[in-house]
Amino acid sequence: MPQVRIVAKNFMDMVAALPAMKLDQLYDSSFICEAVLRSLPPLAKKYVLQLLFIDAPVTAKSIEEWVLSDGISKHKVAIDRLLQLRVFSEVIDRKKEASYKLNPKFQSNMQRYLVHGGSLPREPMPSSVTVRLPTAEDLEAYALEQWECFLLQLISSAQAERPTNFSPSMMRVFQRGLLSARENEAPRLTENGFQFLLMETNAQLWYIIREYISTAEDRGVDPTDLISFLLELSFHKMGEAYNLNTLTDVQRSAIKDLADLGLVKLQQGRKESWFIPTKLATNLSVSLSDSSSRKQGFVVVETNFRTYAYSTSKLHCEILRLFARVEYQLPNLIVGAITKESLYNAFENGITAEQIVSFLQQNAHPRVAEKTPTVPENVTDQIRLWETDRNRVELIPSHLYEDFPSKEVFEAACDFARDVGGLLWEDSKKMQLIVRGDIHQHMRDFFRRQK
Amino acid sequence: MASLVPPPKLYTDDVSLIVIILDTNPFFWGTLSNTSALTFSFSKFLNHMIPFVNSLLLLNQLNHVVLIASGVASCGYIYDSATAVASDGGQKVPAVCSEILSRLEEFVAKDQRLGKGDLRTVAGSMSSLFSGALSLALCYIQRVFRSGMQHPQPRILCLQGSPDGPEQYVAVMNAIFSAQRSMVPIDSCVLGMQHSAFLQQASYITGGVYLKPQQLDGLFEYFTAVFATDLQSRTFLELPRPVGVDFRASCFCHKKTIDMGYVCSVCLSIFCKHHKKCSTCGSDFSHGHSELDRKRKHSEV
Repeated sequence: MPQVRIVAKNFMDMVAALPAMKLDQLYDSSFICEAVLRSLPPLAKKYVLQLLFIDAPVTAKSIEEWVLSDGISKHKVAIDRLLQLRVFSEVIDRKKEASYKLNPKFQSNMQRYLVHGGSLPREPMPSSVTVRLPTAEDLEAYALEQWECFLLQLISSAQAERPTNFSPSMMRVFQRGLLSARENEAPRLTENGFQFLLMETNAQLWYIIREYISTAEDRGVDPTDLISFLLELSFHKMGEAYNLNTLTDVQRSAIKDLADLGLVKLQQGRKESWFIPTKLATNLSVSLSDSSSRKQGFVVVETNFRTYAYSTSKLHCEILRLFARVEYQLPNLIVGAITKESLYNAFENGITAEQIVSFLQQNAHPRVAEKTPTVPENVTDQIRLWETDRNRVELIPSHLYEDFPSKEVFEAACDFARDVGGLLWEDSKKMQLIVRGDIHQHMRDFFRRQK
Repeated sequence: MASLVPPPKLYTDDVSLIVIILDTNPFFWGTLSNTSALTFSFSKFLNHMIPFVNSLLLLNQLNHVVLIASGVASCGYIYDSATAVASDGGQKVPAVCSEILSRLEEFVAKDQRLGKGDLRTVAGSMSSLFSGALSLALCYIQRVFRSGMQHPQPRILCLQGSPDGPEQYVAVMNAIFSAQRSMVPIDSCVLGMQHSAFLQQASYITGGVYLKPQQLDGLFEYFTAVFATDLQSRTFLELPRPVGVDFRASCFCHKKTIDMGYVCSVCLSIFCKHHKKCSTCGSDFSHGHSELDRKRKHSEV
């Protein structure tokens, strides 16, 4: 995954950013404790486990003794994270020595888990009521289709076949930052928007969810409720049906939106209605960098710069169009060519060569994915070369100074510019000198002093 | 097309597959609970172990725990967190606990029936079938290795109480070397009175942790502090170091543990007495050195 600016880190950063009171309130639910614990770095998990049955505060020094000297940085990260999430609270005693104590609610929840075991957030409905449940494949297909439909609507509202029930205002919230809407002009994808499209599904989903949560307050919903519901949702079993009646009002309104994103599938029986979590929902609390939810790839790139995408999805076509010239489209195949022009277009839109290459590699068709390299080297090299082509000339705003009265003045000026770190070019014969634009003010002061 | 798989990809570092080998030897547990100094019974032991299994499952949703019991005459799978979730339709820990208990009960009863006719038990030897359990664990790990492109980091934890059975020496050593080859560390926790030479060697060779807890009452703390640590974290944590390893071997002829003995020059079998012929590979030692030397010279020409 290339580092892009808009990549949201993960769910837990958001949890950590909550105010202390809200956070403590979250720990009432054992699922959240569980999700928080699982999100911690391995070392932190171990500390929690080790302190789980110790009620008295443990001094920071004695915890530090568990670690070898070369693990001290990891240790600091772990402790910081634990404090940030308020799993540990710091106690400073009379001798000014810090010791740590587990959050009591968190501790008792986890103790209960170890002794009595975890439970499901809610009982799945018996199969006698829910007659036909979709199979795992159907459910995954549904989730992906729903998600693609949403993405298509997001990038160009006109192209979506089935409009989702997100209100236009909600949609605009999602589009904020991804599309730039100028007056009297069709909205264009911004640089971030392009990068967003090239991200993995999980990362995209997380971006949307984050926007969804952060705007919850405007809709009159407490973000804490949403976070706890989403975390709880990830503990449901994929493919099982759960009764809608077991949800609170807030959750019920949220679940409709989540169905639009493909996180859950809603179904209605004769009397009751229920929701079925999909893979997207159950993966939500998993650390997002984890690529355990890998999709099957579809792109084949040949050494002659042709790309064959075995896909029926409009979205894939749109994404390919970002950096390749689509030549023809068959029902299940999109044939395109990566050309200099198409790439320049992409670069102008702020997409980097690395992103394109990693997209091609991540979405490689299984047939070519077995080979190394998955994308021919001459193609990846050329993509990178074309990108560096654009960077051959670097523009620096600068000032030219000439007509110096004497060699001494010129040399003093050169030395001064060099000292400030702004000297770009000098010619002692013609007595000319070019200096960075931002140094100009210093230069002027310097000349004034010379007089 | 569906059968084709995406390129191999490992899980994140701390996803583990932990195979726990559980000693269910009734002779050992009987003597342990009878000695007045240590009142530690099998049920108390389970009180420590089941929360430990729970805690392993708690640490990561992809963690995978397998329990294998080694009895006097047999060994068998007790619990597998991967199949348990699929069949129960939910990861319910009360169910985990009751499943472990009922399967253990079944196992012990079966083991007792099998062991009845066995002369070994009559003779008073009370070692468990450790080699068999270790082989089962390695087979399971190999199956996981081959099942898919993503597999968790495996390790084996032996909770052993009964003394080593010298007659299992060859089988145990072979299992240890195959674990070393497939990079599976063997952790061992000795619950009995004496140190176990097998486990010391196993942990030493495979790079696992060997520990003999001082106080069995705090077993859970030992478990969480030492054996719950994933392989990646071990590189920067202070863990118990081996104090000394008992490298003694058993002879192949009488299965006795010996300090010094005779080694077959061809297949490296160990004997406590001089033999005319190696019982393992059939090499003849009766002709003495002179003839052997002549043969070698002959073949070199």
